[in-house]
Amino acid sequence: MNVRSVVLRWIPSVLTLLLLAGCNFNARQSYLDPKGIIAERQFDLFMVTVWVTAGIFVAVGGALAWTIWRYRERRGQEGDAIPSQSHGNPVVEIGLIVVSVGLLVVIAVPTLREIWFTHDMPKDDEVSVLASWYEGETATGAEEEVLTIKATGWQWWFAFEYPQLGIVTGNEFAIPAGKTVRVELRGGDVIHSFWVPKIAGKVDMIPGRNNWMWIRTDEPGYYYGQCAEFCGEAHAYMQFRVQVLPEEEFEQWVAERQRPPSPPAGEDWDEFIQLALNEPQSLPDKPAVLGAKLFFGKGACLQCHAIDGTIAQGLAGPNLTYVGDNGSIAAGWMEHAGMDGKIDPEQQYENLYEWIRRSEEIKPGNKMYDVPGGLKDVDLTDEDVGHLAAFLMTLKSEDDEPRELALFR
Amino acid sequence: MKSETTFQSTTMAPPVESPVHEPPVDRPAGRPRSNIGLVRPDGRGFLVDWLTTVDHKKIGIMYFVFAMGFFLVGGIEALLIRAQLAVAENNLVSPQTYNQLFTMHGTTMIFLAVMPLSSAFFNLLIPLQIGARDVAFPRLNAFSLWTFVAGAVIINLSWFFQAAEALGWFGVAGGHTDMVPAVGWFGYAPLTMTEYSGIGTDFWIFGLQVLGIASIAAALNFIVTIINFRAPGMKMMRLPVFTWMTLITSLLIIFAFPPITVALGQVMFDRFFGTSFFNVEGGGQPILWQHLFWIFGHPEVYILILPAMGIISEILPTFSRKPLFGYSLVVFSGAVIGFLGFAVWSHHMFTTGLGKVATAAFSLLTMAIAVPTGVKIFNWIGTLWGGRIKFSVPMVLALGFIFMFMMGGFSGIMHSSAPADAQQQDSYFVVAHFHYVLIGGSILAILAGTYFWLPKFTGRMWYGSLGYWMSGLVLVGFNLTFFPMHFLGLIGMPRRTHSYLEGTGWQPLNIVCTIGAFLLAFGILLFLIDLIRTVRKGPPAGNDPWDGRTLEWSIPSPPPVYNFAKTPVVKARDALWADKHGSSRQKLGGVESGSHGIHMPSNSWMPLVASAGLLLVGVSMALKQAGVPFCGYLAIGGLVITTVGIYLWALEGPGGYHLHPRPNEGGARS
Amino acid sequence: MSSPAAEAHAHAAEHPVEHMPTGLNTKKLIMWLFLASDCMFFGTLITTHLIYRKIYANLGVDPIEIFDIELTTASSFILLMSSLFMALAVSAIHKGNVKSFRWNLIGVIVFGGLFLAGQVYEFNHFVHYSGLTLESGTFGSTFYLMTGTHGVHVALGILWLLSWLIYSYTPRFNSAEHAIDVETAGLYWHFVDIVWIVIFTAVYLIEYV
Ligand code: HEA
Ligand code: HEA
Ligand code: HEC
Ligand code: CUA
Ligand SMILES: [Cu+2]
Repeated sequence: MNVRSVVLRWIPSVLTLLLLAGCNFNARQSYLDPKGIIAERQFDLFMVTVWVTAGIFVAVGGALAWTIWRYRERRGQEGDAIPSQSHGNPVVEIGLIVVSVGLLVVIAVPTLREIWFTHDMPKDDEVSVLASWYEGETATGAEEEVLTIKATGWQWWFAFEYPQLGIVTGNEFAIPAGKTVRVELRGGDVIHSFWVPKIAGKVDMIPGRNNWMWIRTDEPGYYYGQCAEFCGEAHAYMQFRVQVLPEEEFEQWVAERQRPPSPPAGEDWDEFIQLALNEPQSLPDKPAVLGAKLFFGKGACLQCHAIDGTIAQGLAGPNLTYVGDNGSIAAGWMEHAGMDGKIDPEQQYENLYEWIRRSEEIKPGNKMYDVPGGLKDVDLTDEDVGHLAAFLMTLKSEDDEPRELALFR
Repeated sequence: MKSETTFQSTTMAPPVESPVHEPPVDRPAGRPRSNIGLVRPDGRGFLVDWLTTVDHKKIGIMYFVFAMGFFLVGGIEALLIRAQLAVAENNLVSPQTYNQLFTMHGTTMIFLAVMPLSSAFFNLLIPLQIGARDVAFPRLNAFSLWTFVAGAVIINLSWFFQAAEALGWFGVAGGHTDMVPAVGWFGYAPLTMTEYSGIGTDFWIFGLQVLGIASIAAALNFIVTIINFRAPGMKMMRLPVFTWMTLITSLLIIFAFPPITVALGQVMFDRFFGTSFFNVEGGGQPILWQHLFWIFGHPEVYILILPAMGIISEILPTFSRKPLFGYSLVVFSGAVIGFLGFAVWSHHMFTTGLGKVATAAFSLLTMAIAVPTGVKIFNWIGTLWGGRIKFSVPMVLALGFIFMFMMGGFSGIMHSSAPADAQQQDSYFVVAHFHYVLIGGSILAILAGTYFWLPKFTGRMWYGSLGYWMSGLVLVGFNLTFFPMHFLGLIGMPRRTHSYLEGTGWQPLNIVCTIGAFLLAFGILLFLIDLIRTVRKGPPAGNDPWDGRTLEWSIPSPPPVYNFAKTPVVKARDALWADKHGSSRQKLGGVESGSHGIHMPSNSWMPLVASAGLLLVGVSMALKQAGVPFCGYLAIGGLVITTVGIYLWALEGPGGYHLHPRPNEGGARS
Repeated sequence: MSSPAAEAHAHAAEHPVEHMPTGLNTKKLIMWLFLASDCMFFGTLITTHLIYRKIYANLGVDPIEIFDIELTTASSFILLMSSLFMALAVSAIHKGNVKSFRWNLIGVIVFGGLFLAGQVYEFNHFVHYSGLTLESGTFGSTFYLMTGTHGVHVALGILWLLSWLIYSYTPRFNSAEHAIDVETAGLYWHFVDIVWIVIFTAVYLIEYV
């Protein structure tokens, strides 16, 4: 077989085939299917670079291929005199340099524009609508007015805090559609990176630095994010989700999150805990109740986890106040929703169970198991774990319908 | 397909001499002794001879063999990576093992494979291309080789300790049990602090530190050699382009390595002495590591590519039988690439929040590098233009290089646009970019260079069509592996992830990549087979199988120990070509070596001893961190060995003997 | 360092006609290049220190309070003077005046030693009286690493020159042949000296302007 034909025909055809077959351009973390305003502009800029370089590749590569073809040694030429020994041609060389510079300018100009666009918080105008969430306080410029979320990366999960609203969540958070949001990025231990490809390119979360970014997307949905900086053993499993909600729904979400979910028994958490401590027999014998007792008692979960409005105020792990509402646990690695976007309660229960039972196998190295005070040293029976899972399932908003997530597929 | 016999017919040199040269030797009676009375290890058995040699050709061959070995190690690590990623939610290797695999893969490929392979070419070629007897400091050269080996062993020993740990023979009290570095090849702080990583990081720090010593020593040596040891008439602007690129690369090395040396020292202090260079609690700034690393790291990538460009710039003119188009511009653009290379490091940090002005500046400077690189590509096309292009394995690979490197360069340009890079950084798009420039660039050029110069250094010609099959397989396998990675990156797959969920949609492309990787590995296997086959039973090659252009083709294959029987006197650029095809004024001259013959330095144990001390330092420091007793003393012992080695080295003197080449044997053509 | 140099020397002496004359001695050339590389080395150390001192200031100590500028000025002056001796030693060996060479070399070694003693005293003082240690934040870390690296350079220089001093008493010593080696060592010494001037200005004096 002729090697050149392999190189010239096979490679391109195999590659084309492969692209047609294998590539799902709007996969859920695809940057080729942007939904946020920043991601859109970054995508457009990327396409500029693609077209310019593809053009150059065709021109230069074509010239190269043609030259190789045209000046190949033909049969019978072997003994001929050597070809003419040209050394160079300044006009051509300088011309090509000038052309290259010109083409680079084509890339450079939009690049500069986008650098400024992404770095400056937009002003409150028709291009960008700022979400103001705490009117009357120290709001001065746009920067303070805007809804701010403080995202902190820990090995290997994310904490999200709404300082203006007094809400804390773990691994999943929500923003209003059509509003500009400011995200403060912090590295809790090592460097992590905040990346939701459909909404915006990444910005790193570096210990000792106060990075921030702004994001905005007009399209409600359930967005997938992932830590993009290598941060140790379980880096691959460090993901998170963003719910972009229509404005009214977001307000509802905020209102809900600002008060704790109801306890599995009793009027409120104070009462429940009083009963649990003093007259445990008086509580019903439901799995969720037993689970709650374990959570605040023998399970020692409260050392590391917080449930707002209760005595559980641990900070070493994700805030679990509304963990039952999330579409996933274990920092996104265990998903509860099927292809239809409906949270499947059975799946959710199983995930919670599995996670508490064998987190070290699911996510080796995670900081819930093999750490001082971790579950390694806590003696939980399979039944206990089932109760805990049942309890965590109750930490959710009131309506009985399983939640539906607006997935992008 | 053309067979290699075509070339035999155009061979300019008289056909085939015996590849063995045993010139009469003029040694002092008895065993040669050094200035301090120790016996010099000359003329001993095979093993001692290789361990103590100061001959640049033998050193070059050893660089090549060791580096190829490490290339295989890094390749096997890559295959394990690809096997793990082949399907979603795979569990072939544990996450921590996976992290160790890619860290070691990157470190091995860059520091233990490509850099030393380039070094192998420097060693083999530079003295021959400039018409010198050897490098300026032959024993320093041996020291560089053995120190490279020491650094490589330090890093890779970690695998043995990990295995011992798995078998329960070795343990670390408390803390992290990972013995193999798992911090990524650029080891971002604070992951390298003792809170977050085990003694693997120490192996990594000390291994790199020792490799740095090796690289700087070698680079100093080559700069001095190129500046001071050129044959008469070999003006700077007559140097072969490969020699030029070696000079520029070496300059990059001596300026780029100090920052990482300091940075590694700082990490070492943080780990051993509780300082707070990168510890946030003590006021340290982890971001500083990134700056220091990439001030080294970006020039480093040009350290990897410039020698490759030098190789290509030798092969293309030879096989199109024209001089390199725009020689001065190619040389100059190489220098500009090297210079600009120091001004763009922050393009690896576009997502770290540099601020808009810095981001903009680094973005534009990075784009600027496309211009000098483009100049090289244009001039290569100019070289082919109007030539008479012969296809041979080196040429096929060289042409493949231009296409593949160009693609890698273009994805580099896509990265250089900072806002677009915010989506690409740390995704598989980057992985695709750098494998295109590293494999499509450096590795293809090294393969091409191997086929090109193999006849020179073994005296034997490769034969048959295996080389063509190899080239095809490597090119196809390579593109199949890495082209889809662009798309994997764009559809969101982050790099350095041990696994991915079913729902991400990354499965189909990943399996294609994995198949490609195994094809590529098969191609490399064919390369090795062809290499061994040729060395063992290739037909004699003759002095000048390609109608070559530079001085190395003027002497026998393999070259005699003393290289040139007569010192060549150079009259033109492309000295040998001008001699063969140029005007009568451009014929090579030759200077006889005088009545006492050619002076050859003696072999020496001392470089090996000095390097061995460094090996001991590195390993015992890592074990000290693991809590193994007495390791501090062992490390001091290592330093003492190195110091004693250097003193004896200084005191023993170069020693030496004289050789009298046979009349008519090699040397400058006459 | 002197060893590869000696080698090249022998080689160059063997075939003076072989090479393109650049007018540069091979040993001096490699030393110049090494020093260029070392510039980057110290440049990185000094920059790190200044960045941590000025930009991410988290000193924990007041430099003015702990520096003993009189002492450091004196020891800097001593180091400068050692360079003078070095120059005299090189000139003496070029003239073949071994005796003067030795005395000047002893001068360099003694003054270099004094400088080191000053540094040891300073470190000791900082640690015990000002509480500035390697662990006490970035100021301590960067300060000790930088000045300590410089101190190690000085110590290696002293060791090297001491070796020459001792070697000069052996029968192999030949002032004509070894002048260039000593000159190379001198280059190193002057460089280390200049680096100190930079450190002295950028690290100590800058507090007082
Ligand atoms: C051999 C090694 C090599 C080479 C030569 C290059 C060459 C280039 N690289 Fe690459 N790079 C790496 C190795 C290399 N790189 C590695 C290993 C990494 C990742 C490190 C890590 O994170 O692990 C990396 C990462 C990397 C990044 C960071 C990505 C990220 O992490 O976000 C960037 C960003 O700008 C970049 C840019 C470039 C550019 C602009 C070039 C240019 O030099 C390319 C210039 C060439 C051309 C452009 C093609 C030919 C030119 C023409 C035909 C002329 C006309 C063209 C135009 C006008 C556009 N590289
Ligand atoms: C010159 C440098 C170089 C080279 C040549 C290669 C070669 C290869 N690389 Fe790698 N790579 C890097 C430099 C290089 N790489 C770097 C710097 C990183 C980043 C690391 C980090 O993130 O820290 C990286 C990361 C990297 C990743 C990303 C890992 C991750 O981020 O999670 C992947 C994934 O596919 C990969 C694959 C490959 C493959 C398949 C090859 C193949 O080309 C290998 C081909 C060669 C062989 C396969 C050897 C020959 C094999 C045989 C002869 C087999 C038969 C023998 C026996 C069975 C004994 N490399
Ligand atoms: C030593 C601290 C610690 C203790 C004790 C602990 N956890 Fe955790 N938990 C964590 C950490 C850290 C994580 C984040 C792990 C990760 O994703 O890497 C976590 C994650 C979780 C999650 C997943 C949250 C999400 O959104 O991803 C659940 C559910 C959970 N823990 C439940 C429990 C229960 C129930 C108990 C008690 C039986 C418990 N934890 C005890 C530290 C702890
Ligand atoms: Cu966090 Cu990767
Ligand atoms: Cu770079």
